[in-house]
Amino acid sequence: MKKPSNRVLAACALALASLVAPAKAQDTVKVGVLHSLSGTMAISETSLRDVLLFTFDEINAKGGVLGRKIEPVVVDGASNWPLFAEKSKQLLEQDKVAVTFGCWTSVSRKSCLPVFEKNNGLLFYPVQYEGEEESPNVAYTAEAVNQQATPAVDYLLAQGVKKFYLLGSDYVYPQTTNLVLLEYLLSKGVPIENIGGGFRKDASGKIISAGKYTPFGHTDYQQIVAEIKQFSSGGGAAVVSTLNGDTNVPFFKEYAASGLTAETCPVVSFSISEDEFRGLPADKLVGQLGCWTYFQTIKSPANAKFIADFQAWLAKSTVPGIVKDGRVTCSPMVLSYNGVYLWKACVEKAGSFEVDKVRAAWKSGVSFDGPGGKVTTQPNMHLTKNVFIGETKADGQFKILKSYVNVFGEPWLMGKFKYDFRSTVILGRVGGPGRARPLH
Amino acid sequence: MRNLFAAIVALLALFPAAGAEEAREVIRRAVLGKDEAAQAAVLNELMGRADDVIQPLLDAWRKDRIFLHAAPGAAPSPVLLVGDKDAKRSQKAVILATGLPLRDAAGQEVRLVADELETAPHSANLRRVMKAVLDLTDLSSPIAAKRQAAIAAIGQAQQSEKLPVLERRLKTEADPKVVKALREAVALIRLKSKEAAVKADALRELADLKSLASTDFIKTAIKEAESANDAQLLAAGVDALKAVNTHRGFVDFGGTIFRSLSLGSILLIVALGLAITFGLMGVINMAHGEMIAIGAYTTYVVQNLFGSGLALSPFGWSLSLPGLHATGWLQESYFLFALPLSFLAAACAGVLLERSVIRFLYRRPLESLLATWGVSLLLQQLLRLTFGANNVQVGSPAYLSGNWVVGDILLGWNRVFVIGFAAVVVLGVWLVLTRTPLGLLIRSVTQNRAMASCMGVRTERVNTLTFALGSGLAGLAGAFLSQIGNVGPSLGQSYIVDSFMVVVVGGVGNLVGTVVSGIGIGSFDQFVQQYSPSVAGALANVPVVGGFLQNLAQDSAVFGKILVLCAIILFLQWRPSGLFAARSRSLD
Repeated sequence: MKKPSNRVLAACALALASLVAPAKAQDTVKVGVLHSLSGTMAISETSLRDVLLFTFDEINAKGGVLGRKIEPVVVDGASNWPLFAEKSKQLLEQDKVAVTFGCWTSVSRKSCLPVFEKNNGLLFYPVQYEGEEESPNVAYTAEAVNQQATPAVDYLLAQGVKKFYLLGSDYVYPQTTNLVLLEYLLSKGVPIENIGGGFRKDASGKIISAGKYTPFGHTDYQQIVAEIKQFSSGGGAAVVSTLNGDTNVPFFKEYAASGLTAETCPVVSFSISEDEFRGLPADKLVGQLGCWTYFQTIKSPANAKFIADFQAWLAKSTVPGIVKDGRVTCSPMVLSYNGVYLWKACVEKAGSFEVDKVRAAWKSGVSFDGPGGKVTTQPNMHLTKNVFIGETKADGQFKILKSYVNVFGEPWLMGKFKYDFRSTVILGRVGGPGRARPLH
Repeated sequence: MRNLFAAIVALLALFPAAGAEEAREVIRRAVLGKDEAAQAAVLNELMGRADDVIQPLLDAWRKDRIFLHAAPGAAPSPVLLVGDKDAKRSQKAVILATGLPLRDAAGQEVRLVADELETAPHSANLRRVMKAVLDLTDLSSPIAAKRQAAIAAIGQAQQSEKLPVLERRLKTEADPKVVKALREAVALIRLKSKEAAVKADALRELADLKSLASTDFIKTAIKEAESANDAQLLAAGVDALKAVNTHRGFVDFGGTIFRSLSLGSILLIVALGLAITFGLMGVINMAHGEMIAIGAYTTYVVQNLFGSGLALSPFGWSLSLPGLHATGWLQESYFLFALPLSFLAAACAGVLLERSVIRFLYRRPLESLLATWGVSLLLQQLLRLTFGANNVQVGSPAYLSGNWVVGDILLGWNRVFVIGFAAVVVLGVWLVLTRTPLGLLIRSVTQNRAMASCMGVRTERVNTLTFALGSGLAGLAGAFLSQIGNVGPSLGQSYIVDSFMVVVVGGVGNLVGTVVSGIGIGSFDQFVQQYSPSVAGALANVPVVGGFLQNLAQDSAVFGKILVLCAIILFLQWRPSGLFAARSRSLD
C-alpha cells in the first residue's frame, strides 16, 4: 500500500481539527433549551424547540449577540417534572448557559424554579400560565391570566353569555385560573349559581377550587357533557375550558354527538392553539373560541415574514426527526421567538451576558416588534402585549374577532376583584372585598 | 355538497326572483353596516320575511363566502364568488345587491381569488340575529327538528312579539315533539307577562310539560314572586320547579343507565381480545393495547384511502398511497370497510407476534410478560415512526355523529352503536367458541394442552389461530375507539390497564365473567360519577377525612376511577380468582 503523502495527512488533520472545534469558546455563548422532546408533552413542546433553533440560526446569520454566536444546548425534559430540575441543574452548573428557554406545563416550571433561583439563572417561560408567581429568575413571556382568561370572559359577557361552566385538566394552571375567574365573574355580577362545575371548600367554608376537573388522558366525557347539556338547556351558557392536550378530542367528540354547537353553547379553550389543531378534528370545532396573544392569521408584514422564514428554515433543516409537513405557528412559538429577541435586546442594552445586568435591562423596559405586534418588558418580569380573541375555522386557523392592544401583564390577580358582600361570604372572605388595585 | 351549494347560489345569483332584489339590498346594507348594532338593526328588518334568497345569502355570510371587493377608487361592495376555481384559483364574482355578475369598466366579467379578498365580518351576536331571522323561516321548515330548534330559540329569548306566530302555528302543527316545543315556548314567553294570572298559568303549563330547559326561568319567576310577595304565584312556581326536578331525577337515572351500558360496552370490547389471549391462553399479553392501536390506525388508513390518499414516511422512505376520492355515502361507508380490515390487520400482527415470540414462552408467564411488554414498546415506536408522534384524525361518519332524544334522555348514535356492536361481537365470539370446529379445538387446547395434543390436535396451529382471534378482536376495538377518542401511538397504553382489570375481575378463562365485569365496572363508574356530587355533603360527616372526601366527590370523574379501583382491590381480596372462576387443569 502506498504511503499517504504528508500533504494529505496535514489536510486530514486540519479537517479533523475543524470538525472537533468548529469555533473557539469565546466566540459563542451557550444557551439552554429545556423542553420535553419525548412523553405526553412532546407533541406541543417539540415545536418550541424547533422555533428556538430557528431563531438562533436567524440571529447567528446576522452576527449573533454582542458579536458572539449562540450555541444551543438542547436537553430533554421527557415530560417528567423532577427531571426538569435535574436538567436545569446540568444546564446551569455544568454547561454554564447564559440563559435558558424552556418549560411548558406550570408543574415543570415550578419544579425547576428552585434550581434557577439557587444558581441565579434566567429562564424564559413562553406558555400561558396561572400567575401568582413572580421570580426574579424567570422572564415570563407567557400570557398572564389577565392577558388570556379575563379578556375571553369579557368577550363572552359582551356577547350576552350569562352562565359559565368551568372545565379543566386537574393540575395547577386550570385550578388557579378558574379560582381567579370565579372571583372575576362574581365581580362582574354573575351570580354564583350561574357558575357550573362544582366547588370545593375548606373547613371554614371558603371556596378553594371551582369547576370540574378530569385527569390527563381522560377519555370518558359522557357524564360531564350530559351535565353541560342540562346546564345550557335554558340558553345563554358557555364553557370555559382549560382542558390540556389530547383529552380535548374525546371531549369535543362527545360534545358534538350530544347536539351542542358553538351557537347554542360556545366553548372558549385556553390550551388549544393552531399547533394543537394538527391533532384535533378541526371541523368539529368550527366557531369555538380561542384567546391568545398571537394567531397565525394576523395580517402584518412582520408575521408574514416570520411564517415564511420559519417554513423556509424547516424545509432546509437537518435537525434529526424534525416534522416538516403541515407545520403552523402559534402563540407559545411566537412567545419563544419574542423571548430570544428580547433577551438579545436586554443583553445588548446591558452590554453583558451577566444575569443581574440582563435582568436590570429587562426591568428598565425593552421592546421588540414581533409577529404578534409590539411586546414590552415590565419591571415585574412580565410582558405588555396585544391580546386577540379568535374563532376556529375548519382549516384549524383562527379568525380574529376582537383585539385588545398593549395589555399589561399582571400576575397577582387573586383577591383583586371587587364583588358584593354576599359572594364574599361564600368565598370565605368575611373581611370584605379584596383590596382593589386598578389593572393597567 | 359544496359544488351543489355553489350551484344553488349561482342559480339564485343569476336569475334573481321577482321581488327578491329588496331582500338582497337589505343584506347588502347589513354587510356594510357601520357597527354591530347598526348591522343587527338592518338584519332585523328581514325578520319574518319569506324570501328564498335570505337563507342561502345569510348562510354564505355566516360561512365566510361573502367578500368585500373594492374596485379601484370605489367604496368596497359585497360580492359572492361562484362556480369552479380556474387555474389561477379565481372564481366568477357576483354582486350581492343585484345577483348580477360583476363587470369591470370594459364590461368584462370579473374573476376574483377568494384568498386575496377580505371576508365580510360577522360576530357571534350578528350570527345570533341571522339565526333568529332564519328561525322564523325555519318555523315553516319541512324538517321537524329544525322547526323544534327554531321554536326553542324563540322561547328562550322570550320574544313576546313572536307569540302570535307561535300560537297560530300551534293550531296547525301535527308533530308531537314540535307541539311540545311550541307549548313550552309559548309558556316561556307568557312567563314574562306582567299579569300574575297569565304567569301562574304559564308556570302550570311548564310543570305539566316537565320542561327541563325552563328551570332557570322558573327560578327567576320564583324570585320575582318572592319580591312581589305573591303567595299564589310563589306556590305555582315552587310546584313547577318540583315537577321539573322530579322529571330531572328520572332523566338523570335513565341517562346514567344508558351511559353505564355504553362505557361497559367499551370496556367489554376492549377486554374481549384479552379475555382470549390472556384468559384462555394464559399469555400475559402486554402488547394487547398495541393491537388496539393497530386497529385504530387501520381505520385511519382506510378513511384516507377512501378520501384523498395518504403519504407516509416510515424510516425515511416515502410511501404514498393513492385515494379513491370518494364522496357522499361511499365515503361515509368507509367505516364499514374499516371494521373487517382492522380485524384482519390486527389478526395478522397477532400471528406474527405469536410465531416470532410468544410460542417460545407458553409455559413461562413472567418471560411472556416481559417479552410482550418489549414488543409493545417496539410497536409503539413503529407506529410513531410510520404515522408521526402526533395524533391522527379519524372523522365520524354522519350515521355515527347524531343523537336521539327519548323522553329528554340523550342517546348518542355512536353510543347506541357501541352497545349493539359489543352485543354482536360477544355473540359472534360465543358462537365461534361453542358452535364451530375451531372453537372446539380452542377449548380443548386451552383446557388441557397435553391431552389435546395426544388426541392429534395440532396445538401449535390452534395456538396461532386463537392468538390471532384475540388480536383481531383488539383490532375491532381499536376501530371503534377511533370514533370516540384519540388515535395516537400511545392509544393502547390508555386501555391496557382497563382491559386487565375487566378480565381479572371477571375471572380468567371465562367469557361470561368478562361480559359481566365489563358492564359492572362501567355501571359502577357511571353511577359514582352521576351521584357522587349529590352525596358529597353527607360524606363531610365521615370523621377525620370527611372534608377531603367531600371535595374529592365533587371531582366525580376522578372519584369514580378511585372508587372503582378500591372496590376491585377489595373484591379480589374476597374472590382472588374473579367473579366466575374457571376450573381447568392447565390453569391449576
